[in-house]
Amino acid sequence: MQTYQPQSTKLTHYLFFTGKGGVGKTTTASATAINLADSGKRVMLASTDPASNLQDVFDTELTNKPKDIANVPGLFVANFDPVTAAAEYRESVIGPYRGILPETAINNMAEQLSGSCTVEIASFNEFANFLTDSEVDQKFDYIIFDTAPTGHALRMLQLPSAWNNYLDENDRGASCLGQLAGMDDKKAMYEKAVVTLNDPELTTLMLVTRPQKASLLEADRAAQELAAIGIKNQQLIINGTLKDPTDLPSQTIFRQQQNDLAQMPASLKELAQFEVPLRPYNVTGLDKLRLVLQSEQPKLTPQPSIKNDYPNLDVIVNDLVKSNKKIIFTMGKGGVGKTTVAVQIAKKLVAQHKTVHLATTDPADHLNLFKTDDPDITVSHIDEQQVLKDYQDEVLASAQKTMKSDDVDYIAEDLRSPCTQEIAVFRAFANIVAQDDSDVVVIDTAPTGHTLLLLDSTQSYAQEVQRTSGEVPQAIIDLLPRLQDPSQTEIVMVTLPETTPVYESMRLNDDLDRAQMAHTWWLVNQSMLATNTTNPCLQARAQNEVEWIEKVKELSNNHFAVEQWQPDFEKVLLTI
Amino acid sequence: MKKIELFEPAMCCSTGVCGPSVNQDLLTITSAFEAMQGVTNVEANRYNLSNNPDVFSGRPEILSAIKDDADSVLPITVVDDEIVKTGTYPTIDELSEYTGLVFVPAEQKNSCCGGSGCC
Repeated sequence: MQTYQPQSTKLTHYLFFTGKGGVGKTTTASATAINLADSGKRVMLASTDPASNLQDVFDTELTNKPKDIANVPGLFVANFDPVTAAAEYRESVIGPYRGILPETAINNMAEQLSGSCTVEIASFNEFANFLTDSEVDQKFDYIIFDTAPTGHALRMLQLPSAWNNYLDENDRGASCLGQLAGMDDKKAMYEKAVVTLNDPELTTLMLVTRPQKASLLEADRAAQELAAIGIKNQQLIINGTLKDPTDLPSQTIFRQQQNDLAQMPASLKELAQFEVPLRPYNVTGLDKLRLVLQSEQPKLTPQPSIKNDYPNLDVIVNDLVKSNKKIIFTMGKGGVGKTTVAVQIAKKLVAQHKTVHLATTDPADHLNLFKTDDPDITVSHIDEQQVLKDYQDEVLASAQKTMKSDDVDYIAEDLRSPCTQEIAVFRAFANIVAQDDSDVVVIDTAPTGHTLLLLDSTQSYAQEVQRTSGEVPQAIIDLLPRLQDPSQTEIVMVTLPETTPVYESMRLNDDLDRAQMAHTWWLVNQSMLATNTTNPCLQARAQNEVEWIEKVKELSNNHFAVEQWQPDFEKVLLTI
Repeated sequence: MKKIELFEPAMCCSTGVCGPSVNQDLLTITSAFEAMQGVTNVEANRYNLSNNPDVFSGRPEILSAIKDDADSVLPITVVDDEIVKTGTYPTIDELSEYTGLVFVPAEQKNSCCGGSGCC
């Protein structure tokens, strides 16, 4: 397979790096951007992931405005943070009326404009605006987007056509976008966004994957769903292929990678494919980002092995049982193994005579990779299409009781707004937390960024519930108090013994503290240290882990555990 | 010509289906105001704080009504420039009283008579 080299790859003006969490979207996007800038191009790199790590990569504070990077002439970087976008949008609506409308009215507006719908609209508008901005277009040779993990990146890329179609069919009343009448500017913008995304001469989807089954399947899903809405120019980057296996652990990894690649979905095989070999170092800092795509790599020297006697997941589960927790979340960066840890926790709870409901809030639904026939475990996921349909049906049924069919159509129109999806997902989340058929509910969440947005909307809805006159389901009333009750709830933070996942967990830790959500335990997952490998590349990676495991030990105040890296973990860990 | 206006709290959509709960009153109001759009001698308009703050700011009587507590005063019903109700939505009977219109009970979709009034 050809090694990925931006100079010798056909690249378009707009590049979208997308894929499952943890596959290296940010690394490959950043390395591409630096490589192109170093060759004299003008490059814009923007993250649309609410939990962006670009500020760590470039070791500088970033905002939603392009910032030039001191040591990379020609490179500009921005983080499109939905919460900032929402705050700016809110201010643009409210600002002109400060001092004109009474403060109580301003507060009423501010509160309504803090919902998840506004957050989505604002960040989406920011994205669509940037994508269609002719000044940005002319200023840069390449505009590179580092997207959120698949589930949410798909939604962002599908929204221009969704809103465009909605505005085609509806032109009266109010919506989250504002009054529908007079939306011509917005409609023109969405249309242009759709045209840009669908033009193969302008836009390429860079599907990043690990040489590993779950991320290949997810890349395939993204490829197909985006091709279906017209984004057809796609390339595949396989990140982290192991070369030169020398001992048992490295041979196991090598075989697993080669098997999974051989069984790659047929439609992915048709795409142009490139690989980035596994490097013995964490790709952080400009030096490493410049190095990672070079064909010449530094020589490795063998290291003495280090003993690993850290506590494992059993320590955490025993504490969860002892303190009789009812609601357990696994949270963390994409690709850290939240799903496998959630499954492991569920299995270990069942072994201690608990019945467990295992659910995921991640639209990418990695739980579907495993099946169980254990009667003590029930499994569900939030099927976005299904919960939307359920919500629409419920509202329409209620409307049909009192309204005539013309007016029911009017409700149906509001229900087709892409906003409604957010509400439906949120209600489904509340129902999962409220379940009481099992002793414990274990919830595998979406990657950090979108999980935080879900928790944010939990807080803003809690406020809205206070003043609503409609009937609020009990599950929604109880949601926030439950999540804030440490006697019922525990959020296990899952991370990897590497720079970026630990930094992201530290930010998650602060966010959870601010939201007063109950959390104690940290789990360091997929540790290479415990395998006692002698393969020079893997050994070098294992050595790098110690610093980060010790860091977690300190941050968690000794409430931590380390799980060792497992070959073929989907088969081993996800089967019950 | 009767003029009826509804000044509502900030909201995302006119039916309220995008909030944390579905408000039956809002469905009824949406239906009634939609019906009044077809009536020649009645002008019926709805304004909400997040979509139409400009209308609020141009109406001194509304500004003064919401000055101390917008949350509990909204929605405000105005008939021919006079505030007739605050705090809750008008009922169908009240709307009849304000406008002189009679609102016939809704026909059920998919019921025996459909929309033709055959029953």
